[in-house]
Amino acid sequence: MSATKAARVGEDVWKTRIDKVNAELVTLTYGSIVAQLCRDFEGDYLEVNKQLEKMGYNIGLRLIEDFLAKTNMGKCANFRETAETIAKVGFKVFLNITPTVTNWTTDNKQFSLIFEENPLADFVELPDDGRAQNELWYSNMLCGVLRGALEMVQMQVDAHFVGDILRGNEVTEMRVTLVRIIDDELPPGED
Amino acid sequence: MTIYSFYIFDRHCECIYVKQWHQRDRSFRPTSSASTVDSPVTLSSDQRSSTSSKLQNDVHPTGRGGRLSVQDDAKLVFGVVFSLRNMVRKLSGPDDSFISYRTGSYKLHYYETATNLKFVLLTDVKMNNLKVVLHQIYVNLYVEFVTKNPLSPIEHPGGEGVAVELFEMGLDSFIVNLRPHPPLRRIQTNLVLNREQYRIDIKVS
Repeated sequence: MSATKAARVGEDVWKTRIDKVNAELVTLTYGSIVAQLCRDFEGDYLEVNKQLEKMGYNIGLRLIEDFLAKTNMGKCANFRETAETIAKVGFKVFLNITPTVTNWTTDNKQFSLIFEENPLADFVELPDDGRAQNELWYSNMLCGVLRGALEMVQMQVDAHFVGDILRGNEVTEMRVTLVRIIDDELPPGED
Repeated sequence: MTIYSFYIFDRHCECIYVKQWHQRDRSFRPTSSASTVDSPVTLSSDQRSSTSSKLQNDVHPTGRGGRLSVQDDAKLVFGVVFSLRNMVRKLSGPDDSFISYRTGSYKLHYYETATNLKFVLLTDVKMNNLKVVLHQIYVNLYVEFVTKNPLSPIEHPGGEGVAVELFEMGLDSFIVNLRPHPPLRRIQTNLVLNREQYRIDIKVS
């Protein structure tokens, strides 16, 4: 499926089949989750990253079913197509943003998503304690969502942020790497 | 037009949901060996948990007149579907999948999602293709009432969390509404003449 077709599908599904909620409600809810985690782990931001990723992972495991049901998409032929679908259909449908897919490696197994806008991070300032700027990946839940969702469609990926405007980087960038294609499980032997 | 039973298998090849409507009579498993149902039965006859097997000779298990347990049925259905699907993929590429097959006495409809959930419906042979119906069950019932149910686990070992009330009720009414329409269909045409309303019923059989 070409990028333009993906964009059209995303737009179409977003317009016709999605229940919308107020964007600020999402922003504030997400913000309070992160803030609470920071309090719970007493400023251990590496642990906060890990927890956010785990929450996202559990969301992704279920979200993929909703995604498939709403978009009626079939299997992607290759990882490039998967990337376009994630950016132009997935993010469009659930967050109404379309990150840019770029920086492919030559083996077509790694790409970057550049987020020009990120509704999770609106109105956000990282804690000014000298560490959050270097340790906390504020939107890390998104990495987990991708990992969980792709795992359910037989792709084991590694996703992590490499830049965040909140930290003062140029762009918010997520790096996604295809680790392996998960084989179909075989039924247990009859003996 | 009869619906016999419905199965869901998860990506771990486990049957997570079974529903049977019409108890299949013996004619569903004809004693002739022509039906494809017979051969898997024979293959697994040694480990089925049949209660009546001691009465029967082992040469021709379908001749025993007893019925396999629901679990054994599900295993056999999965075996057929799994092998057929893999065969189809080998023959015509990984994107292809079979839609249904029929024997002399039943028809099996199949739908698989990208997440490897397999939906199977057994009906009588006259049924039209029901892939759309299975897709509807997935979209409107499974995703809505099972996947989105926060109390239901993500994986469903032993069918845990699938047979929730809303899902079962939805499925039941959905399947009941699949039954053929009454033979007479009424098309209503309303004519408005001189501010009075006349109704003309055209009956289409």
